[in-house]
Amino acid sequence: MNSIFYLAIQIAAIVLVAPLVNGLIRKVKAFTQKRTGPPVLQMYFDLYKLFKKEAVVSEVTSWVYKVAPYIVFATTLAAAMLVPVTTLLVPFGFPGDVIMLIYIFALGRFFLALAGLDAGSTFGGMGSSREGMISALMEPAILVSVFTVGLISKSTSVLQMMEGSKSMGIPLSHPVYLLVFLALLIIIIAETARIPVDDPSTHLELTMVHEAMVLEYSGRHLALMELGAAVKQLVLITFVVNVFLPHDQLLSMGGPGVIAISLLIYLAKVILFSVIMALIEVNTVKFRFFSVPNLAALSFILAFLGFLNQFVLS
Amino acid sequence: MNLLTISNLYGGAVVLYFLAAIASLVFLKLHKSNNAIAHSLNILASLLGAVAAVWQIWLGDLLIKLADFPFPISFITINITIDRLSSFFVLALSVLVFCVSIYSLGYVTHYFGKRKVALFNFLYSAFVLSMFFVLTAGNAILFFIVWEIMSLLSYFLVVFESEQRENQKAGLLYIAMTHVGASFLLIAFMVMYSYTGSFDIFAGSTAIPLAVKNIMFLLFLIGFGVKAGVIPFHIWLPYAHPAASSNVSALMSGIMIKTAIYGLVRFVLFYLGSPAAWWGVLILALGIVSAVLGIAYALMERDIKRLLAFSSIENIGIILIGLGISALAFAQNNLFLAGLALTAALFHTANHALFKGGLFLGAGAVQYATGTRDIEKLGGLIKKLPVTSLFVLGFSLAISAIVPFNGFVSEWLTYQSLFLAVSAGNGSVNIVYIIAVAALAMAGALAAVCFIKLFGIAFLGLPRSEKAAKAREVPAAMQAGMGLLAALCILLGFLPLLFLQLVDKVVSSFIGAANAGQLKGGWLIAYYPVEVGENSIYPLMLVFVVVLLSLLALVAIRVLGGAYRERKYGTWDCGYRKLNARMQYSATGFSKPLRIVFRILYRPSRKLETGEGSSVYFPVSQKYSVATESIFERYLYSPILLLANRFSVKAGSAIQTGSLHLYLLYILAAIVAAVLYNRIV
Repeated sequence: MNSIFYLAIQIAAIVLVAPLVNGLIRKVKAFTQKRTGPPVLQMYFDLYKLFKKEAVVSEVTSWVYKVAPYIVFATTLAAAMLVPVTTLLVPFGFPGDVIMLIYIFALGRFFLALAGLDAGSTFGGMGSSREGMISALMEPAILVSVFTVGLISKSTSVLQMMEGSKSMGIPLSHPVYLLVFLALLIIIIAETARIPVDDPSTHLELTMVHEAMVLEYSGRHLALMELGAAVKQLVLITFVVNVFLPHDQLLSMGGPGVIAISLLIYLAKVILFSVIMALIEVNTVKFRFFSVPNLAALSFILAFLGFLNQFVLS
Repeated sequence: MNLLTISNLYGGAVVLYFLAAIASLVFLKLHKSNNAIAHSLNILASLLGAVAAVWQIWLGDLLIKLADFPFPISFITINITIDRLSSFFVLALSVLVFCVSIYSLGYVTHYFGKRKVALFNFLYSAFVLSMFFVLTAGNAILFFIVWEIMSLLSYFLVVFESEQRENQKAGLLYIAMTHVGASFLLIAFMVMYSYTGSFDIFAGSTAIPLAVKNIMFLLFLIGFGVKAGVIPFHIWLPYAHPAASSNVSALMSGIMIKTAIYGLVRFVLFYLGSPAAWWGVLILALGIVSAVLGIAYALMERDIKRLLAFSSIENIGIILIGLGISALAFAQNNLFLAGLALTAALFHTANHALFKGGLFLGAGAVQYATGTRDIEKLGGLIKKLPVTSLFVLGFSLAISAIVPFNGFVSEWLTYQSLFLAVSAGNGSVNIVYIIAVAALAMAGALAAVCFIKLFGIAFLGLPRSEKAAKAREVPAAMQAGMGLLAALCILLGFLPLLFLQLVDKVVSSFIGAANAGQLKGGWLIAYYPVEVGENSIYPLMLVFVVVLLSLLALVAIRVLGGAYRERKYGTWDCGYRKLNARMQYSATGFSKPLRIVFRILYRPSRKLETGEGSSVYFPVSQKYSVATESIFERYLYSPILLLANRFSVKAGSAIQTGSLHLYLLYILAAIVAAVLYNRIV
């Protein structure tokens, strides 16, 4: 029973809120550029419209192309199950392992990249190729980051990592958490295809990565791809805000009310983080593609320094 | 008297393999029946072997003496002894041989009437038998003899299609490298005898002082490292694997290079007992280098089988990372960690046998259907070879360590070993561990890119050549062989505990029962955790939940969007409407970003040749070529060869002057030296 309740809250909190984060980021960007911008709920309208539209499918494609959106979406659903939005509600025997989380995303990326190649279009191949490079360069930083945080709380379980940081007071005041946080910030920007790594709002072939891979998609396939990307983004944000800005230790009362309050605080943290991401996007320009390795290196070095500080020097 | 015993099953397997070899020499001209009989016998033999191996690991005695004959020379015995470690590798061998032999029933048909099928099948069966004996030999000299037989037989199989010059070159390189390795092993065994007075593998090594053990360790590491393809001893592998037939390369990459892993576990961990911490660090470092560089080189290849060969180097690296942690933990007497890391290494060994064997079979199927292994000439095979494509996709996912396939489970265990190692470790060693984590992560991500390239370019999109467009699905036997391996990959991914308990029995028979209590889980589907300490993954439960949620999502989409409608149309081409296969991304183009990023490693060079027409602006032809360079061949092996060549030329002219008197003096000096040595020692 508890598990079902947990699943329901997770889906409601992550899958349904995910498009809102995108809307929020766009709104903040528009605001800083003195534009009105689309409504915050625009992505919901877009998705609804796309679900209803007919799909245009290239004659060249195989079943991989049609299966890919479902697999991409299913993997983000799986990921959403593994990262609790609130630690108060986790069922017994919770299987959320952070390494598994990373490799679940890898499954989605694998099919996303294959889908890019399936239509035989140059754009798709270009996107897959670039995505491959970015993911290969970011992966060491991701693992070193989560290992460092995991080692502090002595477990690679996402829940244990959240529990571990709860007992740290303000985790970001510890140098190791701060360094890893910065590393993960860079990783999230890369993984969610945002400026300066990629530009989500462009269809200019010279710069696109993620958009190039899904260029052929339309109708409900596209909707699933877009929703999947949004869910992935929120899962990553959830991981970061709940590990680095834990809030559940502040709540001492029991009962269902506490869960509601916890969820509200969680939402506030997500909004705060989204605004930060939007501001980063506004204040940077897109990097040249071959400058991305520098960014990956920076992220790796930050995580590595965090590790050194905690486990080698002390 | 009970006929159904483990020894009898093993004996039966040996006899059947032997019969398969003999039978293939009997039906010399009848290619069809020759092939059917030989491979049926192999299938049967491997089945017996697999049953016996599982039985022995699960319930059997720790040591089973299959044979123990004395030999005219006193210190050699024909001693076939099987313990659980041997059984584990025999199990991997048997399962792979079972699938590859089924595949061969179909695959070898393309040799009918063209090549010596009898010879091929004889070599194949004898090769399998020799590997069986390598894994079960109880006497070091016997081990060395069958090791050499295995190397020679595989050499003949590498040069089987001998009319091609590159195959001859590959064979020469292979036999040269493998003998360099073997000579190191021989020295190690001689040292072993001179200190213990025995060649018995299962005897103790307490009589050997630590300093000598250190030397023996290095000898074993180089000797087995050459066979395993550990960087920097790997140069033979990317030549030998493509040269051999695909079913043979599946065996070579799937299990033959693992006999070296067996050797390392047997001699370094168990025989010498890994007494010094630096052994583990050295193995770990070699593993890190092999894992990252192996897959980095694989990424640049356009020949499917060369790509797979480099990827084998990567996987050997991952196995070595596990072994290295285990050796290090052994030295520090952290038995739980040693057991866990060894479990990870052995699990990955078995996994790699399954998916790499499968991938080589897939490469063979592609070659069978299209006649080429060049990725740039393929494309669109998913429509021509639907079944093969499905299996190759499965293997590609498994080798990229993607959830929920078997590769993920063993990599997860390796990560967990590293995690525990850091938790228990101190100071500077932790740097090595975290570098291993980063290396493993990078290797995993690069492997995914590499296999996206392999599958995406060769199987998806439009066919890039006439041959690829006319390909037809391969015979059913070949499909069955690949299908079985693919099914095993999924099974081990979904229900890893089934297999982990087997591995655990192997490991705990050496380390004690340290691990057994830690691997929890029952037989129920929904509750099947792989658990290490407090960290756990539930592959099957996850799949179950995700499938359920996805079905819910499908219903939701249906409700939101109504029935699915689709329209077929051309790929988006900016309105040009003449998109063709040549405009697709190529394999070389696909890996270009990484080639540029890692240009220090690859040292790429490019050449643009323009055939000028009437004006420079309208060239009649253009040829663009990219080449990468192997830094190991250029900066390590070439100088050594050059030096050796120079020395031998100089020494040759100094020693062989052509004077008969001088030669007689040499003989006299040699006799005097021999007599003196005998007197003194």
